[in-house]
Amino acid sequence: MTISNHKQLVDAELEGRVRTYSWRKNPTAATSGGLWFDMALSPGNPPPKYWFDATPGVAQTVSQSADGGLFHGANVSPSNKYLRGVRATPTSSTGLPITMILCDYLLYYPSLDDSTLDPQTVNNSNTLSRYTDGAGVQLMAVTVAGRTGGQTFSVNYTNSDGVAGRVTPNCYQNTSPVVGSVTTSQSVVQLSCNPFLPLQGNDSGVRSVQSVTMNGVDVGLFSLLLVRPLATFIIREFGAWVEKDFWLESCALPIIQDNAFLNFVTCPQSSLASTNFLGDLKVIWD
Amino acid sequence: MSGFSSHDQVIAALSNGQTFRANWSKNANPTAAAVANEWHTLFRGAGNPGADAIFDAGSNLTFQAVKDNTTSAASIQHGGAVQPTYYKYLLNGSCVSAAATVVPATVTLVDVVGFYRVTTVTTATAQSTTNTLGQSDTFSADAGTDVCTYTSTANYPSNILTGTRVRLTTTTTLPAGLSLATDYYVIRASDSTFKLATTYANAVAGTQINITDAGTGTHTITWLLPRYTNGAGIGAIFFNPAATAMGAATPNLSLGYTNSAQTTSRATPTVLPIGKTAASNSHILYTGATGTGKYNYQTPLQSGDAGIAQIDTIQNSVSYVSGTYAVALLKELARFPISTLGLAAERNFMFETPSFPRIYDGAALYFLVGSGVATPASSAFSGHLDFVWN
Repeated sequence: MTISNHKQLVDAELEGRVRTYSWRKNPTAATSGGLWFDMALSPGNPPPKYWFDATPGVAQTVSQSADGGLFHGANVSPSNKYLRGVRATPTSSTGLPITMILCDYLLYYPSLDDSTLDPQTVNNSNTLSRYTDGAGVQLMAVTVAGRTGGQTFSVNYTNSDGVAGRVTPNCYQNTSPVVGSVTTSQSVVQLSCNPFLPLQGNDSGVRSVQSVTMNGVDVGLFSLLLVRPLATFIIREFGAWVEKDFWLESCALPIIQDNAFLNFVTCPQSSLASTNFLGDLKVIWD
Repeated sequence: MSGFSSHDQVIAALSNGQTFRANWSKNANPTAAAVANEWHTLFRGAGNPGADAIFDAGSNLTFQAVKDNTTSAASIQHGGAVQPTYYKYLLNGSCVSAAATVVPATVTLVDVVGFYRVTTVTTATAQSTTNTLGQSDTFSADAGTDVCTYTSTANYPSNILTGTRVRLTTTTTLPAGLSLATDYYVIRASDSTFKLATTYANAVAGTQINITDAGTGTHTITWLLPRYTNGAGIGAIFFNPAATAMGAATPNLSLGYTNSAQTTSRATPTVLPIGKTAASNSHILYTGATGTGKYNYQTPLQSGDAGIAQIDTIQNSVSYVSGTYAVALLKELARFPISTLGLAAERNFMFETPSFPRIYDGAALYFLVGSGVATPASSAFSGHLDFVWN
């Protein structure tokens, strides 16, 4: 059964199939205004998840049970779990306004090398465990070791229709040395990608990556993540909670798949080093 | 018919005076500051109502029901019992703090249905609880319809929901078809009537027991939880109810329980909550800002479970050395996120979906606070709650 009308929503709440879980992130990175930043690497509750903790280039799946992320409760299969609402507030005004995208992080290829011009063939011994066909899955490059910047790269991938040999446009690497910054994020440069890599043609998702090719050498490392965006909101100012009710605002509840690893990709307007964020997720299941 | 089905009925109820306002004020943990992202109960805080005197009292590992009229419960009053004539709801509320060092914070309104006090904190194995079905009222049975009717209402039997596990006693002979010392499951027919089933599945399906005579004497039905009686939506928290801090330890905290579908032998997930060492008075033991094993604020349940009908075992994996803790069963009703000094968080429950949280007779209302920043001891929170019934 799915939740598709008010009565089903109300029944779920009355029957106790609803929970609200609080979260807190304490970023310490000296982020730059207008550059996207992956808050999954920030301390807090949940603790940070580092995208350089495995063999370079070997696909690693990500899940709540193994890696944590924003806690959303146990698996509910065969029921469906939905994101009913999200609240968030900062503890200071620094970095605001900030856009926050809640994503399900699915898989990552650790520590791809900026200094190699040869195509870096990745290892797909692990594949997507959620959104297995890749529908709606996006690519995001996250810096795990800083670089000089200015080079471009492209990604060879299989799209959500299972067609291999697809290639992204060349994407520009920024000069941010901050670990956790989205490698391709830029506010003023062409060929920048904020925060997800553009795909070929009318592709709508990525099932797997086959290789990454740098077009110029640099120092540094980045990890390539496959993520599924679920919800977006903006914290405009300090002193006012952002409260999103996905049922009232859109009558469309994002689905949280079992064992999803949830975290935020953010775009602050200055350094986040002195700002903490807290809030909660409200989930409901049918 | 009880309840609201239109705005006009709400306006009429308010016009008729079927409403109650509770102005409340509570101070946070009186003995120590709260670390950012910790959750604390406000049970022991001074204010109006004052500090409770129940959560650190009573027999070890024994379920104690809590109601608004429980002596020394110090819960927030809501206008008394109104069922079965009326159903009561939370209409609106507010929360504010006058201390800049408190905000941002989340203040959560809960109905505490009961708790288990744990004094044997040095025992590191799973400890069995005592769950005496302490709620009781009398009933009569109609053999022609199999319908039973409550003949007393002291413990608010109109709160009993379908699927609730009950047992029966009598002064003489139970109605034919029913037995002593046997689990039955309620099929709720109305606020004043019910049928019985042999299993939870039969209760949900409406498959009743055939009662062939009314029996003799006075019959009594007994059940455990005073509200949300089948456990739907009930969560658990481990907290320090005492005036002093816990001893030094960081144990895994786990529960064995029966879920709201009356399935036994359920257990909290593998990644267990981890208690804070020397957890201060009022602290919900496993809440906090960083590290593994931190949950904010309810104990996680086993996959797919929607609530707790009763707790069967409680365990702290290593000795807490000293102190006591309690495990409370509660239902979250509303959250008030406060952001700014002097700016109240206000909720109008008529316009939220689902609207109007139900306030059952006997509801024991309390607040919990999730600290967004380090919150000094005895920080003051205040606000109001408006109730309406129809």
